[in-house]
Amino acid sequence: MVQSLLRGIDMYLYMAGASIRAQLQYRYAFVMNILGWAMTYAGTAITMWVLLYSFGALEGWTFWELIFLFALAVLSWGVCMVFFFHFRSLDQYIVNGTFDRFLVRPVHPFFHFMAMKFDVGAFGQFLFSIVAVSLAYSSLHLHWTWQWLVFLGAVIGGTLIQGGLLVVISAMAFWTTRSERLYWVVMWPFKSLMNYPLSIYPRVIQVLVTFVLPFAFVNYLPALLLLDKTSNNFSPFWGCLSPLVGVLFFWLCLRFWMLGLDRYKSTGS
Amino acid sequence: MSLIEVNHLYKEFKIARRQEGLGGALRSLFHREYSTRMAVQDISFAVGRGEMVGYIGPNGAGKSTTIKMLTGILVPTSGEVRVNGLVPFQERQKNARQIGVVFGQRTQLWWDLPAIESFELLKQVFQIPDARYRQNMATFSDILGLEEFLDTPVRQLSLGQRMRADIAASLLHDPVILFLDEPTIGLDVLAKERMRKFIREINRERGVTVILTTHDMNDIEKLCRRMILIDNGRVMYDGELARIKEMFGKERVLIVDLEGEVNGFSIAGAEVIKQEGNRKWLRFNREAVTASQLINHISEHYEIRDLTIKDPEIEVMIRHIYEKGIGSYEGACL
Repeated sequence: MVQSLLRGIDMYLYMAGASIRAQLQYRYAFVMNILGWAMTYAGTAITMWVLLYSFGALEGWTFWELIFLFALAVLSWGVCMVFFFHFRSLDQYIVNGTFDRFLVRPVHPFFHFMAMKFDVGAFGQFLFSIVAVSLAYSSLHLHWTWQWLVFLGAVIGGTLIQGGLLVVISAMAFWTTRSERLYWVVMWPFKSLMNYPLSIYPRVIQVLVTFVLPFAFVNYLPALLLLDKTSNNFSPFWGCLSPLVGVLFFWLCLRFWMLGLDRYKSTGS
Repeated sequence: MSLIEVNHLYKEFKIARRQEGLGGALRSLFHREYSTRMAVQDISFAVGRGEMVGYIGPNGAGKSTTIKMLTGILVPTSGEVRVNGLVPFQERQKNARQIGVVFGQRTQLWWDLPAIESFELLKQVFQIPDARYRQNMATFSDILGLEEFLDTPVRQLSLGQRMRADIAASLLHDPVILFLDEPTIGLDVLAKERMRKFIREINRERGVTVILTTHDMNDIEKLCRRMILIDNGRVMYDGELARIKEMFGKERVLIVDLEGEVNGFSIAGAEVIKQEGNRKWLRFNREAVTASQLINHISEHYEIRDLTIKDPEIEVMIRHIYEKGIGSYEGACL
């Protein structure tokens, strides 16, 4: 068990290294990708600033608190992209028949597919979120101790929650062959939703992103705890649960992906 | 005991009728209309260790479906498959260690990386011991001339180079069985010859059992003693290539170029199998009618400009089997 885990990690690192070398073959695209994403997020941050300039605060959230909320989501999305963004192209593999290769090798197909690409395009997300979190941290005069653990838990949980959803969306390709569209229809709206405090949305949406697609655990709930804010509907305690929710949600998503794989094995397309 | 055993294998596909748009795609998750298609029906065969078998048939005959069931990619609808004692779809990963697979039209190499990186990655994936890896790389480089392009990204390789790299990659972990799906497709004559030479060599030197699908009858003729011919998911013929040749051995094809205007050409004792303008291909049984008799017949009615007599090509024989079945042929000729 331990041995196979070690072998898995060893192989993942090896394949990740190869994948980085492959991506560095296109240096221009590589740099532009990073800059492009960093600029996109900076743009959203500026929109927030403009918004708050006229309103002062949004549901009791000040500008730097909003930036923190936003940057926390971008940070875990960045980590998620590194590991799971490759799943967005699963439908391509299925359409042109190259997915079969993962089934004729003595490695778990999920793991093998995941290890095929270690997406360094996410450095743009890191660039933006690390700068933004640092600025927010000093502007809000925060002095964390145990909160760093909650922060780390939020990043891990957020990675698993968003990664899980990417995995589920990709698995739809096992049934419908095309899943790219679903990414834009499901993933993108939820991610945009989470850029602002949950309290501004109707109750239905709050319930949905807490108990069904647990995006609230990506940034809003941990931020409540980390920024020492109160909410009518949630106790700050919920913010610690991110990693737990993440592991559970990801496990369910993985089961769903395996179900899709079984279907692929009976239809071959 | 045979290395590969296939008994009464069936594979049925449910084909969903596609619905339009995203709404349709979502709707079709819950409710779908299906039609079924039998891709493989009641196929049985056995392959012994060290054999080299041509598995052939027209597009959509069920070749790839069978190969996918033998490699564990697809789960059979019913029937039995055993590959070296394993049931591929139940022990897919274990089976993967003992088989090598090459899909001619789709590379298994890492597209953006130099070929050598793909070999190194496969070494990791299959846990190939260092010494064995070096030994295999040396052998394959020697026969396939891999050195000249080892450091070139796979996407920049020519098709011939890519195929050579692909087949070497499939053999690195010393598989017992090699599945080749169209290994010579799109290659030029020299590259095809080189590929065939390599396949013959690994079969002979290493005793690797080879299952080969192809559209190129020269591949079969040069590589396989035995062929399994399938059509519409059923086995049409399973046996030695030589026997088919023998059955057709009494046949000759007369190719004549006629002078002037020719309408409704037909000759007693021969069958017109092909025509291109004034050039006619006539098949005849040399025991029923001699070539000179036939030529006499023709020249009574037409003026002959040129003529040739040929043995029938394998391709023609096989087309004949598809059209009329092997049984009709045996009855007529043997």
